[in-house]
Amino acid sequence: MIRLSNVSQSYGEEQVVDDVSLSVQPGEVVGIIGPSGVGKTTLLRILALFLDPDEGRVELDGEAVWAVDEDERLALRRQVGMVFQEASLFDATVARNVEYGLRVRQDWDERLRDQLRGLVGGTEPAAAVEDALKIVGLHDKLDQAADSLSGGEAQRVSFARALAYEPDYLLLDEPTSDLDPRNTGLIEDAVAEARDRGIGVVVATHDMHQAERVADRVGVLLGDGFTEIGPTETIFEHPTDERTRKFISGELVY
Amino acid sequence: MPFDPVAPLFPLFVDLPFEQGYVRSIMYVSLYVSVTAVALSTLFSIPVALLMGFTEFPGKQFVKSVINTGMGFPSVVVGLLVLFAVSNQGPLGAMNLIFTKEAMIISQFVLATPPITAISLAAITGVDENVRDAARALGGTRLDVALVVIKEARYGIATAVLAGFGRAISEVGSVLIVGGNITSADGISKTRTLTTAIQLEARQGQYDTAMVLGAVLVVLVLTVNAIVVRFGDEGSMNR
Repeated sequence: MIRLSNVSQSYGEEQVVDDVSLSVQPGEVVGIIGPSGVGKTTLLRILALFLDPDEGRVELDGEAVWAVDEDERLALRRQVGMVFQEASLFDATVARNVEYGLRVRQDWDERLRDQLRGLVGGTEPAAAVEDALKIVGLHDKLDQAADSLSGGEAQRVSFARALAYEPDYLLLDEPTSDLDPRNTGLIEDAVAEARDRGIGVVVATHDMHQAERVADRVGVLLGDGFTEIGPTETIFEHPTDERTRKFISGELVY
Repeated sequence: MPFDPVAPLFPLFVDLPFEQGYVRSIMYVSLYVSVTAVALSTLFSIPVALLMGFTEFPGKQFVKSVINTGMGFPSVVVGLLVLFAVSNQGPLGAMNLIFTKEAMIISQFVLATPPITAISLAAITGVDENVRDAARALGGTRLDVALVVIKEARYGIATAVLAGFGRAISEVGSVLIVGGNITSADGISKTRTLTTAIQLEARQGQYDTAMVLGAVLVVLVLTVNAIVVRFGDEGSMNR
């Protein structure tokens, strides 16, 4: 479980994340909805253990993340995967991209051996690489150059890249905001598949319908902490907070 | 008979106006000095560029201006400073480097480092920040992220190395000062490079020899460029 307790973060004068508490269990999808600029990305960066928040506590499986030394934190960080709004693929083939997470987890002589093997005759991609690409429906593009993919395909590869090393948690930052409906659907299917495999998924999105489709629980972020967080149905059907109700009905426009 | 790189270049010269051994040894000195200096300079420059690209430290702007100034620094002045450093009274005097290839390597290193660092820095800072984040998010250590950045910036870095090599191999003033343009008694180059030899031959009216040396220099530069560019392309095919 990733648990944030009373986490706050500001940049200069601006309070970006204000007293947020949140926990993510393996095998659930948590949606974080809210307008742009409300601190969703910052919150995800804290969840990804990229950012030590100004205040509050970040725990992963009971371990206080920012209290341990850097090596231990790397080990913790490696249980979490993140997919960004932009695909940001490496300038390499699809297979090389997807196996990156596996490669950095090997020790150096293994990596060197693989490099040399690649020089003499090419290597077969690991089963996990093909498996991850299958989930996003791109296992026939293994040897294609990443820069020849369409935007939607690139984002799906980016998703597969984060799945290949089987993280316990997967964070998605506006994963479909630039995508067409078909690719959006494929990504959402992949989210469901990840959950079925026991991965705890967090989806930050400004598209509340997407959250409604994929999430088990939803947190509504409207500026100062969650105005409300709970089961998706409750949030969308019977919100208790007035601002949540207005946001969901579209009355509250930012 | 060992492979002779010079002879096949001039099948039409019946009576060569120079000793082949002379030209060969000059080529060797030129390449040895420039390649060594550029290799050392690259090993030094890329970590510096990575550090400058991704970390904040006091005096960073100052270091940047030093590097930029260094790109236009007059090479004869560099030669002069290195000469003082390696002369008997200089700080490196005890090493007896004056008028040696090693002294030439030092001055070439000083000359090649600013362009290699500056161009690498531009290439490295040009790498999308999202790509760095992705490498980190996928579990990369700081070293892994640095390697990804180098890989993404490889064309720019290749350009940087070529610029440094171009500056080193075509350099006259500083190598003349610290190397002394020396040949041994049997006409084999000790510290004579293609550039300093051309200068000398031209001044002595040996224009045909100077022209041949000039042609050799151009072919050398073209060859090294082709190899480095080819190397970069290979990298893009086999990633």
